[in-house]
Amino acid sequence: MTCELNLNFLKELERETVLQVLYRDQMVRKVDEERIRKLKMQLQQLQWKGTNSVSHEYQERSCARCQKSLGLVMNRGAVCNGCSHRVCSECRVCLNPYLWKCTICYAHGDMKVKTGEWFFEERAKKFPAEDRHETVGAKLLKSYQKLSKISVVPPTPPPFTETTGRNTAMEISQSKSFHKSVENLFLSLATNMKKISKSQNDMRADKSLLTTDYGQDMERRKERRSQSDTAIDAANRIKNIPTLQQLISGTWDDNEAFTKRYCKQAEDIPTSPMSDTVFCGGKKHGSLYSINSTCTEAGNFDTTNVTGEIEFAIRYVFKTCTLEVCIKACKNLTYGEEKEKKCNPYAKIYLLPDKSSRSKRKTAVRKNTVDPAFHETLKYKIEYSQLETRQLQISVWHSETLKRRVFLGEVVVPLSSWNFEDNSTQSFSWYQLKVKSGKPEDNLVQYNGELLVCAKLILPSQSKKCQYEEQMRGGREDQASADGQLHLVVLGAKNLPVMRCGGTLNSFVKGCLTLPDQHKIRQKSPVLKKEACPQWKHLFVFDGVTPSQLRQSCLDLAVWDQASFGSNDRFLGRARLSPKEPSGTWDSDPQSKCQWQKILSSPNTWIDITFTLHSDMDT
Amino acid sequence: MTDGDYDYLIKLLALGDSGVGKTTFLYRYTDNKFNPKFITTVGIDFREKRVIYHSRGPNGSPGKAFKVHLQLWDTAGQERFRSLTTAFFRDAMGFLLMFDLTSQQSFLNVRNWMSQLQANAYCENPDIVLLGNKADLSDQREVNERQARDLADKYGIPYFETSAATGQNVDKAVEMLLDLIMKRMEQCVDKTQVSDTANGGSSGKLDSAKPEEKKCAC
Ligand SMILES: Nc1nc2c(ncn2[C@@H]2O[C@H](COP(=O)(O)OP(=O)(O)OP(=O)(O)O)[C@@H](O)[C@H]2O)c(=O)[nH]1
Ligand SMILES: [Mg+2]
Ligand SMILES: [Zn+2]
Ligand SMILES: [Zn+2]
Repeated sequence: MTCELNLNFLKELERETVLQVLYRDQMVRKVDEERIRKLKMQLQQLQWKGTNSVSHEYQERSCARCQKSLGLVMNRGAVCNGCSHRVCSECRVCLNPYLWKCTICYAHGDMKVKTGEWFFEERAKKFPAEDRHETVGAKLLKSYQKLSKISVVPPTPPPFTETTGRNTAMEISQSKSFHKSVENLFLSLATNMKKISKSQNDMRADKSLLTTDYGQDMERRKERRSQSDTAIDAANRIKNIPTLQQLISGTWDDNEAFTKRYCKQAEDIPTSPMSDTVFCGGKKHGSLYSINSTCTEAGNFDTTNVTGEIEFAIRYVFKTCTLEVCIKACKNLTYGEEKEKKCNPYAKIYLLPDKSSRSKRKTAVRKNTVDPAFHETLKYKIEYSQLETRQLQISVWHSETLKRRVFLGEVVVPLSSWNFEDNSTQSFSWYQLKVKSGKPEDNLVQYNGELLVCAKLILPSQSKKCQYEEQMRGGREDQASADGQLHLVVLGAKNLPVMRCGGTLNSFVKGCLTLPDQHKIRQKSPVLKKEACPQWKHLFVFDGVTPSQLRQSCLDLAVWDQASFGSNDRFLGRARLSPKEPSGTWDSDPQSKCQWQKILSSPNTWIDITFTLHSDMDT
Repeated sequence: MTDGDYDYLIKLLALGDSGVGKTTFLYRYTDNKFNPKFITTVGIDFREKRVIYHSRGPNGSPGKAFKVHLQLWDTAGQERFRSLTTAFFRDAMGFLLMFDLTSQQSFLNVRNWMSQLQANAYCENPDIVLLGNKADLSDQREVNERQARDLADKYGIPYFETSAATGQNVDKAVEMLLDLIMKRMEQCVDKTQVSDTANGGSSGKLDSAKPEEKKCAC
């Protein structure tokens, strides 16, 4: 019924508006999923406490829930009509004067209503064919993302020519605007995180402020939030009800210990350094894909002089999200072997800052010439928005033997300033070759893509907490509520090292918060199958942490590619947020400290962070 | 407000013709304010509010209290968004079906909205409250209370005359709907548990026609 439903029928601005609503909804769902996960964990714990409930020999003699022995005449217990186990009088929950259930049955029923499972069950009766839990909002978002991907890929990639016809220009500018809206989508997600409680109207109110009289009352506008606590009825009689936690005899500490144990089961993030070769199993991708990795860079820079020019053109095909570099020719190159007047040139390009083999493209080697003609187009699949941070490094090399290579010169083009929409910049030009720019060490900077997250430190607002504590908790959770929570939404990653045929990954993210006492809280996202640019949008909640603890903690995030059976998961890259000054090699992100402080100093606000993923594994 | 410190996530949805006051009503409910401006809703939207729900014991004695997180979906009344808005019906647990007391046409359309609900909501007889809005505009009234009540009775759903402008019956209507949903929820659970186990596992059909019977299962 809703299968064909999508957002195509909407005008662009309308779609934007609806998407923002859908993303807001997604946050509501994320929070709820986390709540449900916790509920389920508590139930599991409760069940473990009553382990004897399955062993029949005790059934008639002891309470199935607490194992207290039952008498034959006095205190003989009663059979729960939910599970048919005999339980003592303490292990019952009275629903009304005529109906009671044992603690486990009660907890099961409680779960069913609190998780909303009752609703899904009901709905499944009417729509048995549909996904039981998926909401329309989630479905729409998914299909929108899929659709926007499909529609930017044309059936056949257009040939790379110098045509500057009007049609082409039109096409490009159109697909550009589409692409922009996909970008905006990502952006709007981020903005939404900040305006998380706003509804359509509030957004519009912001806009209309500029022009209309709506803004006459600024205060009113500020107060317009879609959520409010005003209705929380503070004064009313509240009878203490058995919460799951209360049913679990034992303290909160107990529960926490359980959490720790549970989390420990998650795989440890390996700490052994991994060899570079991991990324070298490449497949051909439009051009030669080198099996060697960055180490070939250590080649010969001791060239005496650099001469000559190189002719190439750069363009971006918006439809296919491809950067195309067409290397046409070189002239007046210096000889690779000056004495023998030998030169076997080839061109090699990197999309800096990525210096891994993934970023490397090479032309074929031309023999015995200093004026080689290449006519080769080297391609990168890359998001347009990514280009801004990239530089195209085009170098020319002499290939002497298998081992020896001589540097003949290079050109570095910063793509941030490149106007891809202007046809004139798409045509061929000659560029003067230059000597190696910068230190060779720079080349060894590891770049394994980017990880986008947003994070928020949640500190309970005083007033609300007090109300709740008095009313609901009876002091039981005081300890936990004094603490805060670190929320981190792992949005997605770009430019991950893809190596599988078909170029996709089954990626997931592990998060590990290391507290000052070296205690680690671990989290793991679900695996996203077959996505080269995964968008997990998964919420990590690091619970029960105080701001002062966090000030001395560090957070490690690692992206992994799930292995097909048997083999080990493949490490893709990692990033770290830490309060310490950067030390060591990979930790060299000076932003790290800054971002961490930003999160800690602005509680209850979403902070967007883009990490550069590093491949080093050591800490 | 984005923390998970609540017991239930309840999703309600407001529907009805364009301009009857769905958005304004929800805004009154969540923020207790009135917006006289008409800004038609694009597709869908939602607001949130957290409330404490008190269930009542069997003899009206004070029962339990729960923290409820309400997600209040607002739909566009305009025809051209219909495919989108009706799709969202399936995720809602209860409905605020609204018409405008000053518009006979919006009242006549209630029938159509009912059949849309029947087709798209999670079950055949979901919890609905019928709301005649803009009760404050008594001089422009086109629908009289008798007519509206008769219709509501025909469907077996509660009816309220509301005003987003004055706040009349706004909270009451939402609370009534929440109450219906919470009751249905408890019944669902009690019923399945009793039939799952005591009656040897065959879970009977859940029809909410005989609520009293489910109240005391033993
Ligand atoms: N006097 C009065 N005006 C109201 C009342 N409720 C809504 N209005 C006005 O009616 C107009 C339409 O209200 P909206 O809430 O935007 O209507 P809607 O049902 O959301 O319309 P769509 O989004 O197009 O489906 C606005 O100008 C409101 O101020 C009310 O109870 N009394
Ligand atoms: Mg509206
Ligand atoms: Zn017991
Ligand atoms: Zn039981």
